[in-house]
Amino acid sequence: MRYWEDFSVGEVLEYGSYEIKSEEMIGFSERYDPQPFHLSDAVTPDNPDGLLVASGWYTVGLMMRMLADNILSHTVSQGAPGMDRLRWTKPVKAGDRLHMRTTILEKRASRSRPTIGFLTNRHEVLDQDDIVVMWCEGVGMFGRRPEHEAAS
Amino acid sequence: MIYFEDLEIGATKITGSRPVSAEEIIEFARQFDPQPFHLDPVAAEQSVFGGLVASGFHTAAMMMSLSVSHGVVDRGFLFSPGFDDMRWLKPVRPGDSLHVKSTCLEKSPSRSRPDIGSVRFRTEVLNQHGDVVMSVINIGIIKLRNSKPL
Repeated sequence: MRYWEDFSVGEVLEYGSYEIKSEEMIGFSERYDPQPFHLSDAVTPDNPDGLLVASGWYTVGLMMRMLADNILSHTVSQGAPGMDRLRWTKPVKAGDRLHMRTTILEKRASRSRPTIGFLTNRHEVLDQDDIVVMWCEGVGMFGRRPEHEAAS
Repeated sequence: MIYFEDLEIGATKITGSRPVSAEEIIEFARQFDPQPFHLDPVAAEQSVFGGLVASGFHTAAMMMSLSVSHGVVDRGFLFSPGFDDMRWLKPVRPGDSLHVKSTCLEKSPSRSRPDIGSVRFRTEVLNQHGDVVMSVINIGIIKLRNSKPL
């Protein structure tokens, strides 16, 4: 188990791997983001190869999945108040293989809740060529080490 | 089609509503956010939320779905570079019904491209009690009806 105390500012975590499958990507678009360029291939001035582009919210979901599986599942995650800033920097397409890089930017203890601490994180989603396709910064709440447990 | 010129600063659009079921919350969580308070009604009762709640990114996806199906996001919207200040203000629970309120905040024509402009919107997701459950500043890149001269 990793507690708030075990994360340090400047620490970089690299993890996860997810290959984008066409059917799954389109399934998400049909349900949550049915814009034409997320549903079928079409050449436009902004998309010269014409291949279907994943919904940015699908990429957000995959980031969350890689974060949950690889990091949060080993912590006492207490959720998050929001996401301060997010940018989609490159279109994601079927066949791309995504992975994650998380940098711990800041940490502070909660004044009102002694059992939790805050981490400000920068998450980057990278493709198979190590190009950042999406990045975001935000605060997460993590459980602190109980007093009866010695530091590992 | 909605063009850049059609968007008035301060103008507001309100969508119809959509229900949120426990099945959908769990299905989204299974695929994207498998934390106990999004996934397991029994474990969720012991969590800080005191019961099953939707993933914040599920609420964001439902915002997008409402925005597309009710014409807040339209064919003139080319893409989004991202968003700022997303805040999850209240839990979204099974049985809630959500709608979206979108207000145009700022417009700026592109400096490098005569055919597009950038628009910032304050988007709020509200529940059946009128409580804002999520707010965010969305950014859209939108077509101009009349390309501005360079």
